[in-house]
Amino acid sequence: MENLVQIALQNVNLAAIMPSLVLVCFGMGLLLINVFLPRGTTRPAVWISLVGIVVTAVVTVQGWGNPQYGFSDAVALDNFATFFNVTFLLAAALTILMSDDYLRREGYAVNEYYPLILFTTAGAMWMASGTDMMTIFLGLEVMSISLYVLAGFFRGQSASNEAGLKYFLLGAFSTGFLLYGMALIYGVTGSTRLTEIGAYLNSHSSLLANPMTLAGLVLLSIGFLFKLGAAPFHMWTPDVYQGAPTPVTAFMSAGPKAAAFAAFLRTLEYCFFGLKPEWSAMLWVLAVLTMTVGNVIAISQTNIKRMLAYSSISHAGYALVGLVAANEIGYSGVLFYMLAYTFMNIGAFAVLILVGKQGEENLTLEGFAGLGYKRPLLGVAMSVFLFALMGLPPTAGFAGKFYIFAGAVKAGYIWLAIIGVLNSAVSLYYYLRVMVYMYFRDPTEDYAWISLPVSVLATIILAVIGCLYLGILPNEVMAMAKTAIF
Amino acid sequence: MTAATTLPQFPWLSLLIGLPLAGALLCLLHRRSRQECRWLALATTLATLAICIGLFVACRHGDGPWLLREDAAWIPRFGIRYTLGLDGLSLLLTLLTAGLHVVAVLLAWPEQRRLPQFLALLLVLESGLMGVFLAVDLVLFYLFWEVMLLPMLFLIGIWGGENRRRAAVRFFLYTLAGSLAMLVAMIALYLLHGAQSGSYSFALADLLQTRLPLTQEYLLFGGFMLAFAIKAPLVPFHTWQPDALSEAPANGAVDVTGLLLKTGIYGMIRFAFPLFPNATRDALPLLAALALVGLFHAAWSAYRQDDVKRILAYSSISHLGLVLLGLAAWNTTAWQGSVLLMVTHGIVTGALFAVVAMLRSRTGTRNLNELGGLWGAAPQLSACFLFFALASLGLPGLANFAGEILVLLGTFRSQPLWALLALPGLVFTAAYLLRLVQGTLWGPAPAARAAIPDLTVREWLVLLPLIVLTVWLGLAPAPLLAPLAAVGGLP
Amino acid sequence: METIFFYLVALVAVVSGFLVVRCQSPVNSALALVNTFFCLAVFYVMLYAPFMAAIQVIVYAGAIMVLILFVIMLLNLGTEARKRYTHGVVWAAIASLLVLVNVVFFIKRGRVTGAEGDITDYLIKTEGHTELIGKALYTEFLLPFEIASILLLVAIVGAVILAKKDV
Repeated sequence: MENLVQIALQNVNLAAIMPSLVLVCFGMGLLLINVFLPRGTTRPAVWISLVGIVVTAVVTVQGWGNPQYGFSDAVALDNFATFFNVTFLLAAALTILMSDDYLRREGYAVNEYYPLILFTTAGAMWMASGTDMMTIFLGLEVMSISLYVLAGFFRGQSASNEAGLKYFLLGAFSTGFLLYGMALIYGVTGSTRLTEIGAYLNSHSSLLANPMTLAGLVLLSIGFLFKLGAAPFHMWTPDVYQGAPTPVTAFMSAGPKAAAFAAFLRTLEYCFFGLKPEWSAMLWVLAVLTMTVGNVIAISQTNIKRMLAYSSISHAGYALVGLVAANEIGYSGVLFYMLAYTFMNIGAFAVLILVGKQGEENLTLEGFAGLGYKRPLLGVAMSVFLFALMGLPPTAGFAGKFYIFAGAVKAGYIWLAIIGVLNSAVSLYYYLRVMVYMYFRDPTEDYAWISLPVSVLATIILAVIGCLYLGILPNEVMAMAKTAIF
Repeated sequence: MTAATTLPQFPWLSLLIGLPLAGALLCLLHRRSRQECRWLALATTLATLAICIGLFVACRHGDGPWLLREDAAWIPRFGIRYTLGLDGLSLLLTLLTAGLHVVAVLLAWPEQRRLPQFLALLLVLESGLMGVFLAVDLVLFYLFWEVMLLPMLFLIGIWGGENRRRAAVRFFLYTLAGSLAMLVAMIALYLLHGAQSGSYSFALADLLQTRLPLTQEYLLFGGFMLAFAIKAPLVPFHTWQPDALSEAPANGAVDVTGLLLKTGIYGMIRFAFPLFPNATRDALPLLAALALVGLFHAAWSAYRQDDVKRILAYSSISHLGLVLLGLAAWNTTAWQGSVLLMVTHGIVTGALFAVVAMLRSRTGTRNLNELGGLWGAAPQLSACFLFFALASLGLPGLANFAGEILVLLGTFRSQPLWALLALPGLVFTAAYLLRLVQGTLWGPAPAARAAIPDLTVREWLVLLPLIVLTVWLGLAPAPLLAPLAAVGGLP
Repeated sequence: METIFFYLVALVAVVSGFLVVRCQSPVNSALALVNTFFCLAVFYVMLYAPFMAAIQVIVYAGAIMVLILFVIMLLNLGTEARKRYTHGVVWAAIASLLVLVNVVFFIKRGRVTGAEGDITDYLIKTEGHTELIGKALYTEFLLPFEIASILLLVAIVGAVILAKKDV
């Protein structure tokens, strides 16, 4: 009995996990409700999950400027986490909006899809707010396992099966690296708290050059870099992105990628600030590699989904440039870029959904021929997304790239910025090719099958608004990103 | 700011940018009725032109660096402001832009395919060009610089000739790649200036205060110049231009030659030269050399072409070589001549492209070998063609002459050798233009040609003002030179 | 003495791990896996973590392995069901060797005795290993512990979705 008294819960601060708590509650509630819904009825699940996201967003926004810590420093709901949480929630909301009709069309209108999206988002939130390696790791696992399932959601399609399995195997492998790295770091410092690790390494500066610390850092980085699809750990990306259901691909490339960036950034900055020159140099090489590999391979793709997969590799490379810069502008640039990328990429995928046909995805370049004339508004929306992905003003993509490259130049990485800009120039080519097909060719198909469901339209409209707002009036959000940096 | 007192307080410069944009939106909204669209577009361009003329009349004698200025916070996070400024140089170029767009809309009157979209893109292009000529914040300038590309991409890609896809993509990639270099240089300059002065700003006026080590100045100058040289186009970077021009739809091409190329020169005058004076000083001989090479190479290429439009495209490059030579000579006379030549060349070449478009719509070909004997068939059209061709080669009394002679005089004063080298280039110009005239107007008419109708009323309406302008500017160019006197940052 | 014992068990662990991959019959593989788990349990004992050792035996070697064996039997997987993959074996071997060399080199060079954590030998002896784990889980690591429950929930839901014949 004496012992029981000693284990009184201490340091429990529910406010520090409130957003994820609300989200998980909605997820679990939805699982229960789904049992009682008649088969094929998906609307209530969509609505409930959307309501859940909105409620969570309201709760999340309350935390802005009002940081909460708790659970003996295992979690910190600071501005940094809040900014990323909003990004995740946006990605989730946009994804859910565009999923219903697509799942119905493909014959997989299964309600469990929505709770899984919510759980993924909650996992991403734990990654962004985790200040303990265990929190980050478990958040990553929750997120990844949900994603494995979502990637393989179309059980009858071999491509989707392949995507799920491939993602699972390689993901498990990379998690092994991550865990190994964490174990080594724990061995060196005797703690899993990020701040304690940082303080310990700082006060025992001989440990900084210790091979074991370095090995831990490298293994940890490999784990994160895998999740954000950076070269040379990008091999899974194209197959998984192509095989997974399109909304899932859209979600994967935005939310979880941002989560990996969040956790990586926090770990680097909290634990390894003493090793900044070392990891900066390492990431320099990887950023260049990632941008280049993604862009160069994307050029030769004729399937647009696959092209976007490779392009998402290169976008991870641009965001890595912000990490390399490792200054206030670079870091807040990463935050801003991930938000901007969420809008433009999910928007582009939403258009892909509409252009696709049931069963056959119809995602080759030919499938887009003359789309701009047959569906002018859809064409305009797609153009906005493509321009944003290219990084042209006045879209979010320009503001984001500007932000990140400004950080790199400020940190003295002028060559990195130049390589990044050259890569943008390369990427122009393959994005432009889609435009060429959309507008400069006559339609080969009549696009009669394209219906414009309200929910998908809502996704596209929201994404267009986001792209233009962040491009034309970025100041508000930029200022927020600035205050979100520790 | 004295000039502004005679004008009612109003964001006139924003209006110049916003009006065409609004017109474009209205065009798209009224796309059901082609007739409405035409009048709408015409009204918009005319209104814009009216504002420009109004500004010219009201402001041209202003003193101080800016005749009109607008300023508002935009992205304080990076010290980016929404700053527009009008000085003598931008005044002339906005005037040219507005005028040529009226011509373009009139030329687009008979366009059959997707007319509302065509007009809307034309108006967006006008808006972008206005922005380029007015923005004095570097990021704002970059924004318009890129925005201007998009309508051009579509105009060439959708309404262009047989190789339009290739030409459009090439045009887009080339110019965009150049401007990305400028973007990096811009950011670097911004940070260097911020580190120096402690206040981070993209305003041109602030950045002009930056003092840089020579190496850095060279690098940044190179970044800016790459963008401008591709757009201008300076000779090693010019290969996109003949394709783009010859594939561009006739009514779009007017604008490309007339205006897009000017933005390159304008960028040099407004940004590259004043921002990096030392690098500029050292680069002048190189610029002059490139200008001379361009002058000759393009003239020679023009001589060898059979496609009328390509001849005119190369002639543009050749003329811009002369403009650049004037800038490189670096004295007031030559420089004023350059600006004048830029404006008059815009008018004359624009008119030539318009005539060629009329020719093409009648004969169905642009090949010199399939043309000929036009004088007998359509004397009015032929006369106009001859008139503008003569103006283009710098016949005294017509528009180009004043600019050319000022450039040559100015150049001769500081660099006699360059001026002497440039003279044979003018002979080349005469050669290819005469070949062009001879091939189309005289000689035997192709046997299988149907009767050619002469100019219609609408076409006269397009050409007559241009003819009047050409003569007027040839005889009395002084009104155009007056506002240039107060432009800062140059010799 | 202890070192010799460690290397002996380690050898068995690695050999049985290898056998898991190489065995023809799935049942044999599963049994080899049990063997690996047992060896790991021995390591835990040697690291003064008796609770972990017990959990390792009960949960992994016991419950999970039984489940795996059940599945193998139920699906009636024969030896022929396993194809040999030799694709890229050489590269895999080289890569693994490199990683091995790397890790050995780094840890050898590292010579880190490790920072002492909160849970010292003394504490373990006085308070007991199991109690300490329980306390850590419910105080310091309460949040990760709770997240693990969500993780399991997600895994179950996912398994059902992927495996159920008709959802």
